[in-house]
Amino acid sequence: MDMLIAKNLGVSAALPDGSVPVIQELNFSLPQGKVLGLVGESGAGKSMIGRTIAQLLPPGFSVTAGELMFDGQDLVRMPAETRRELLGREIAFIPQEPLSGLNPVLTIGRQIDEHLARLGIGNARARRDHALGMLNDVHLSHGADLLDKYPHQLSGGMCQRVLIAMAFASRPKLLVADEPTTALDVTIQARIVQLIAEMQERDGTSVVFITHDLRLAAQVCDNILVLYAGRPAEYGPARSVFAQPAHPYTRCLQLSNPAMSGPRRALYALPERMPGLSAIKGIEGCLFAPRCPKVVPECTRALPPFVDVADGQVAACIRPETTATIAAPALSASDAPQAGVPLLEVRGLTKTFRIGGGLFRNRAFTAVKDVSFTLHQNEFIGIVGESGSGKSTVARMLCGLERPTEGEFEIDGREVSDGSTSSRAHLRAHVQMVFQDPQSALNPRRRIASIVTQAMEAAGGTSGKERLERAEALLLEIGLPPDAARRFPTQLSGGQRQRVNIARALCVAPNILIADEIVSGLDVSVQAQLLNLLMQLRRKRGFSMLFISHDLSVVRYLCDRMLVMYRGEVVESGPTDRIFAAPSHPYTRTLLAAVPPDDPSAVWSPQPLETDVVAPADMLQEANV
Amino acid sequence: MMRILPPWLRSARVLGGLTIVVIISLCAVFAPLLAPHDPNEQDLIATFLPPVWAKGGQAAYLLGTDSLGRDVLSRLIYGARVAMMVAVLASFGAMMIGGTLAYIAGYFGGRIDSLIGRAVDVWMSFPPVIMSLILMVGLGVGLRNVILAIILVDWTRFCRVLRSEVLVVARKDYVAAARLVGFSHWRTVTREIVPATLPLLITLVSLEMGIAVIVEAILSFVGMSVSSNTPAWGQMIADARQYIYDSPWNLLFPILAIFFAVFGFNLLGDGLRRTLDVRLTATQRV
Amino acid sequence: MIATVFPLVGRRLLSSVAILLIVSMLLFVVLHVLPVDPAAMSLPPTATLADIEAMRREMGLDQPLPNQYMIWLAKVIQGDFGASIHFRRGVLGLVADTLPATVELAVLAMMIASALGIVGGLVLFHVRGSRKEPVVDFGSIMLLSIPEFLWSLFFILIFGVALHWLPFTGRLDPDLRVPAGTGFLLFDALMAGRLDIFFSAARHMILPSFALGIAFSPTIMRVLRSSLIDVYQEDYIHLARLRGLSERRILLGHALKNAILPTLSLMGVQFGFLFGGTLLVEVIYSYPGLGNLMVDAVRNADLPIIQAVGLAYCAVVLIINTVVDSLYMVLNPKLRLR
Ligand code: SF4
Repeated sequence: MDMLIAKNLGVSAALPDGSVPVIQELNFSLPQGKVLGLVGESGAGKSMIGRTIAQLLPPGFSVTAGELMFDGQDLVRMPAETRRELLGREIAFIPQEPLSGLNPVLTIGRQIDEHLARLGIGNARARRDHALGMLNDVHLSHGADLLDKYPHQLSGGMCQRVLIAMAFASRPKLLVADEPTTALDVTIQARIVQLIAEMQERDGTSVVFITHDLRLAAQVCDNILVLYAGRPAEYGPARSVFAQPAHPYTRCLQLSNPAMSGPRRALYALPERMPGLSAIKGIEGCLFAPRCPKVVPECTRALPPFVDVADGQVAACIRPETTATIAAPALSASDAPQAGVPLLEVRGLTKTFRIGGGLFRNRAFTAVKDVSFTLHQNEFIGIVGESGSGKSTVARMLCGLERPTEGEFEIDGREVSDGSTSSRAHLRAHVQMVFQDPQSALNPRRRIASIVTQAMEAAGGTSGKERLERAEALLLEIGLPPDAARRFPTQLSGGQRQRVNIARALCVAPNILIADEIVSGLDVSVQAQLLNLLMQLRRKRGFSMLFISHDLSVVRYLCDRMLVMYRGEVVESGPTDRIFAAPSHPYTRTLLAAVPPDDPSAVWSPQPLETDVVAPADMLQEANV
Repeated sequence: MMRILPPWLRSARVLGGLTIVVIISLCAVFAPLLAPHDPNEQDLIATFLPPVWAKGGQAAYLLGTDSLGRDVLSRLIYGARVAMMVAVLASFGAMMIGGTLAYIAGYFGGRIDSLIGRAVDVWMSFPPVIMSLILMVGLGVGLRNVILAIILVDWTRFCRVLRSEVLVVARKDYVAAARLVGFSHWRTVTREIVPATLPLLITLVSLEMGIAVIVEAILSFVGMSVSSNTPAWGQMIADARQYIYDSPWNLLFPILAIFFAVFGFNLLGDGLRRTLDVRLTATQRV
Repeated sequence: MIATVFPLVGRRLLSSVAILLIVSMLLFVVLHVLPVDPAAMSLPPTATLADIEAMRREMGLDQPLPNQYMIWLAKVIQGDFGASIHFRRGVLGLVADTLPATVELAVLAMMIASALGIVGGLVLFHVRGSRKEPVVDFGSIMLLSIPEFLWSLFFILIFGVALHWLPFTGRLDPDLRVPAGTGFLLFDALMAGRLDIFFSAARHMILPSFALGIAFSPTIMRVLRSSLIDVYQEDYIHLARLRGLSERRILLGHALKNAILPTLSLMGVQFGFLFGGTLLVEVIYSYPGLGNLMVDAVRNADLPIIQAVGLAYCAVVLIINTVVDSLYMVLNPKLRLR
């Protein structure tokens, strides 16, 4: 029996200049006990589908066509009170941000209790027993203690488990999980996915699994629906969509994701980005046409119909047969230049923070412990670790934003960790940092030209004209039109801002670039553009880079060597290929096993990690450092 | 036409507030031209006249006369001088002290921050009215000392609110980036942090002007501000209160004048806050 | 829970004592740069220069300022705040007589301010996004622009002079006598079983307490409104909806509990201001409290009183802040459990 059916569903948003389709021609059916994956980049409309199911659309958005049937009832047309009765009972939700999904001023126990009371479990004793059982089911030990805790005392993974327990408390018929693992560390991600699968099997729940990660969707879903700009691009059984994508977009998405195994290949970088709400109306015919590598004039005549390409697999494309011929360019030999002389030498770097105020002022917490490594000319080193591993603290120390408690490092043969004016200047000339969040890294009040040439402003003695010329040259180099120089950061997209961020760091022509999670939070196609840009810049300029990331596949693509950090220490280091092929430290093995494999038919066996359960308070602390 | 105006000028609140403030400023600047009478000219046969529209009012005294037969309208207009002078000077003074300390505390943090924080705590334990009164005792009466007292009392309003905002901005990566490309502390603060907090600063100045008007009125009400031959709204209230049964009008007009002025500043401040997109967290909205 | 809050409150109290000490020092300095000579003030006009000089020595005014302060502090610790030059009475007694009246007025006003503030905040929040919003919001800015002393005068004009509904001078009708007791009139009257006194006192307090309460409510309203708006952006509110909770339950069970925190910390500051606001209100309503004592002392340059009353205001504000902060800690688990 089908639990959720969308028939030609359409959602529109009322913009000042008319209404715009947010979702169009959505068709799927989700049988009982199955998992449907909604896959797409940001702006594809996948979260809007989740909101449509609950009918909690943002102001100005409304369902304009079709129907959405849940268990034989139309969710769109039923009275609000009836729908509210279904929510939390028959239809449950798991959010993206577990930490903010729980009310900070109520204990876990109170929140579970409130939910159980609504479900009609009579007295407080019974509810408490029930709650303990639920926590046990999601493998949270010490349930009784946990009930008295507040959300901020738990780790993100634990909060998500609590939310999963609450979602399954009513044995719902339908579960909507909106990027349930995106905000979590990889190792915890894998465990949460497993847990959802386990609970879903127990209760025979149907699941709508919303994710941006095609690889993950291929692992956990029975069917996949790939969305592009609010319209389905491809729909079909997970394995076949992943193995033989019929729509060019699906194929490109796959190719822009760096592989976890096999030979290193170049990334396919789609140009531009998904059209925003206001741009959709301006596109003629196929919405993907402006970016499609296989576009032909016919594509722009009308919206392409949905064609059957294989058993149960449909694609909205008029030339699905050409999709398989899309290929990423090969990596050239020059993409791995020979490493030169040592540039940066780090010895025994340690950072201890004093935490807490008042009575506990003297509690110390070691964020980074005895880190040593050497970065050579032209070399890219990846530092991999989860939140709290101390990788960002290493970056901040190396560019002088933080003073090391112990240890030292020298750049180009000169000791610079003493913090004196001359070593700061030396540091500045050699090392620049690219920050993680371009939102915070670019002053919204400065024009792009002024941002990228800030180093010249600091040095003084240059005219506005010189600076503008330099800015335009830099923008050209990082792939932005020169007229971007006059704009403000808010007028650029996320990917473009990150390019500006890189351009600023390149302005002084440093020979070491420190990049802290610079592609996290970007869509895969934009990520691919940036990674290719970094490769290209390295070929042209020949600099070294310390690339800090939690994403193993990106590090594998970009870096020659890597360091794995765990709780402030480097647990393993060596050439990237060697570590991926034969990890020696158990933590590295856990980390690698946590990533879903490239091949969906391969067995994915993430291993448990005890930190998931313990969540020491000091690890939480470092997240704020 | 509307398109070329900056957004903050298109807000009805800002326009409304600005209009009121401009009217009062004009009264203050051109008082000798606008006032129909000399504010201190006494007409002892025409005391306690009601305004012109009430029974017994005279056209020569539009808003009536007070206990000494002085023209209320003229005194109101001249009173705007004291009010505006205090509003402008006191709020700028308080902004200079409070703002500077806030930038120092928020940007450098650490010990200097907690020191300034302690000072603010001490100040906050004193209700502003009481503190200004005591300062007036120490400083002696007079308009100059009123302004000084307001500055010494109200710098904390700027310091408290601005400090937490500076703290937020100083943690932004673009501030770290500016330091990394070689900006000095001075340049970082003036080029990166001050512009980001300017809208808040402007909003606060506007609100502080309203507060300054009130405090001046209070101090002239208790007789600690201007000398008795300078017309001021607070003083008019104090006079009128003694003859409340003889002429309630005399009390009403200065009350309305103060309200009007404070309302103008508040409206302007609120409008600026909205249009300049100042994110005031709750504790800052005092 | 109480056990975890206790040390924090203790620390708070300790720092309050430190603040009080610093304040007393500052007061001392400010009041001693005064142009008037307290020794001369305390003597009859016929006194000779030699008399004044003798008086100065007796009062310790010939010593350097730090010494004077230490002498003063030593006395204060023994409970001796000196004697009023003007009233020729012990300062402690004067303050003790007037403080309860002011506290009584302030507490009543705080209750009114909180009630109006919370109800008004909910109304403001309720009309958000509707066509009524600009009107209501405009009204709240108008309220914000009327300070307590304007309300006081306004109320006198309307309810006292024009309508003759309520009395507006003093604490009691002139034919009634203040019963002995704590000094908190409403309480004492009830204890003495004198309902006539109770009602007379209550009627006298209506105008001043409302004037104060109304003046301080708009800030509370506006903060509650914007905190609620902030809280409603949070994921947990969205998720509570997705769990099928009713809007009423979300507001009362989830949103308000979070939105009240910033509101509460603002109320701490506001109540400090409110307590200072009693001064003007007392003067206007001839209400025999600290404020009138202070203004009299200021007019007579009666330093011992100014000093003591200043400290009294400060102490009460610190107590208010400590109470509000403790409440805040009880309600905010993040602070409590750090
Ligand atoms: S219809 Fe044309 S433009 Fe659209 S995906 Fe197919 S080939 Fe590309």
